[in-house]
Amino acid sequence: MIAGAWLCLFAPLAGTLAITVGGNRISRLAAGWLSTASVFVAFGGAAWSFFGLRAHGSEHGALSTAWVWLQAGTFKAGLSVLVDPLSTMMMLIVSGVGGLIVLYSIGYMDGDDEERRYFAYMSLFVFSMLLLVEGGNLLILLAGWGLVGLSSYLLIGFWHERPTAVAAAKKAFVMNAIGDATMALAFFVLIAHSNSLSFATSFATAGHLSETTVNLVALGLLGGAVAKSAQIPLHTWLPDAMEGPTPVSALIHAATMVTAGVYLIVRTHPIFEQARTIELIAAGLGTLTLLVAGLIALVQTDIKRVIAYSTMSQIGYMFLGAGVGAYANGMFHLLTHAFFKALLFLAAGLVIHALSGEQDMRKMGGIGKVMPWTRWAFLAGALALVGLPPFAGFFSKDAIIAAALHDHWYGVVLAIAALAGAFLTGLYTFRMYFIVFGPTAGSDTAPRSQTHEGPKTMLVPVGILAVLSVVGGWIQFSPFWHPLTNWLSPVAATLGVAEPSNTQEAIASVFAVVLGLAGAVVAYAVYGQRRLAIPRVPSLQRALEHKLYFDEAYDALFYRPAAAMAVSFRREFEEPVVLASGSDLGEGALELGQGLRRLQTGLLRTYVFFLATGMAVLAVVFLVVK
Amino acid sequence: MLQGPGIAWYLGIAAFLFATGALGVLIRRNPLIILLSLEIMLNGGNLALIAFSRHAGNGAGQIFALAVMAVAASEVCVGLGLVVALHRRRLAMDVDKLSELRG
Repeated sequence: MIAGAWLCLFAPLAGTLAITVGGNRISRLAAGWLSTASVFVAFGGAAWSFFGLRAHGSEHGALSTAWVWLQAGTFKAGLSVLVDPLSTMMMLIVSGVGGLIVLYSIGYMDGDDEERRYFAYMSLFVFSMLLLVEGGNLLILLAGWGLVGLSSYLLIGFWHERPTAVAAAKKAFVMNAIGDATMALAFFVLIAHSNSLSFATSFATAGHLSETTVNLVALGLLGGAVAKSAQIPLHTWLPDAMEGPTPVSALIHAATMVTAGVYLIVRTHPIFEQARTIELIAAGLGTLTLLVAGLIALVQTDIKRVIAYSTMSQIGYMFLGAGVGAYANGMFHLLTHAFFKALLFLAAGLVIHALSGEQDMRKMGGIGKVMPWTRWAFLAGALALVGLPPFAGFFSKDAIIAAALHDHWYGVVLAIAALAGAFLTGLYTFRMYFIVFGPTAGSDTAPRSQTHEGPKTMLVPVGILAVLSVVGGWIQFSPFWHPLTNWLSPVAATLGVAEPSNTQEAIASVFAVVLGLAGAVVAYAVYGQRRLAIPRVPSLQRALEHKLYFDEAYDALFYRPAAAMAVSFRREFEEPVVLASGSDLGEGALELGQGLRRLQTGLLRTYVFFLATGMAVLAVVFLVVK
Repeated sequence: MLQGPGIAWYLGIAAFLFATGALGVLIRRNPLIILLSLEIMLNGGNLALIAFSRHAGNGAGQIFALAVMAVAASEVCVGLGLVVALHRRRLAMDVDKLSELRG
């Protein structure tokens, strides 16, 4: 069981190293298959540890330490992996969905200039993500956290000849660094109080800390989660991150890395439960994000950006679930979201690939006729995203809304907002679907004779994910059967306040389905049939197209003051003081030399005169002093 | 105990010799004469040393005087060498004209 976990962790790293060392000696295709194989081996390892753990019973998690990595006084942190229900679940998601996406990349990246580098990065990312989810203490978790940030940076900026991609990569890195910093600060506080970063000790310590301290720790962790999961207020990097190749968006910015924040909250929930206020703030932020992202998604025209905002919105649901204490429901939505969001990205990638890089939805009209398989797969993903039964999203999203509904007035407000979000989800998802695959082809549609479906390596993963998007949710249906909740209960038992009654489940389900369907119907009327005109509210539309001015606000709040300060420092301090001081010193020395030069007359008698005068003065001084 | 004039006389003559030499160094322009004047200054100093030696009743001053003579001899070697070199290059025997070191 533990061996499976180690295999799972190091197989992708081996893949990265093999591709890196192999360099030009292995073909591009071989690099792709090597990377795919390494991730599927990791999946095998994950399955091994999953079944091992199941045989032992899910409460018998195991911690294995390879060696003590860091030792300072009595503080020790080892390179250790943890096999418990939560980590095996994440391992399966990361390596399973990851393997499918890497396989898909072989077709998608075919003909790109630097495929080997791409596949080395992909394997590196999977390794980092596995390190994050398997890490047996908070330090290893932080190391994985930083490494996924790095690989995300490398992959967003993969097409480094595009200035926008480089800018997006930098933006993602900087925004994530803010979260990494707050997380590291939270860990420092934990070390100061418990002298340990192991899960057990830290969680036990959280109970003895003062309220302020534990709130600070939870706030630091929340900062990390919010930055990594692109929640308000640190969300602006995710839409820009769509500059990377589409499989990267599917793997990192939909299925795995961005959900790490949810994993962090669930993993450290004993700390958050001591700081319940912060946990509810997390739920509130998630709800705010799901509404704002849903609204912005309504006006975007870039297909990947629509899906990116939808990802933010769905992670908002997960934050809501984890925040109110329904950890298993949050993780369940993470699982189904990994399926259908990866599917949507990969299907969108098929369209983009067929149109050689076109991402504007308005120029895709009528593509459904030549790509029927893609269309069906996309429809399955869209239905799962909207949450209509029996698709996956129905089971997981409704459970979250129901869990929120149980928690007094605050929870009711959140649940109502989440239901409004369900309507928005239906609207923007089917707006996208009808614009891209709709029956009426746009006037500016290019001839489609050359376009056709992608190769098998791309269609197979899409097909598997489409099936999973349909059946993936059936493993848990809250009031009737809940194996996932039981499985996770030893590490992340659902809080009592988040156990909804059957009535609440029913209310949440009915409203969510009706509202989602209503959104889809409105989208059909507006974009499918073009019967309804879109109501024009220019100011609102402009605000949404500017993504509610978050970028502009951050520009004005942080970038401009910093740049102005730097300019004024240069003008007021560096130029007059630092740069000028060198020449000032030189000129001063020159002037002094000019003065002293006069003394050197070249006449022997003046020297002798000075000598004699000096002697005379000395003699007088001696006489007087004596 | 040897008898003779008191120490003040000796010091007076030494000061006179020193001042004569210094005056020569200051106002003459011929390097040869300046060297001669320097020797006179040194001898003034030597006389003062020996006078003190005798006055104090020990030999330290005499040793100093001998050392000064040795230094003077070597200094004259160098100085006269310079004078000869100047002469060979047919340069003017005038220290005021040898003012290339003027700043």
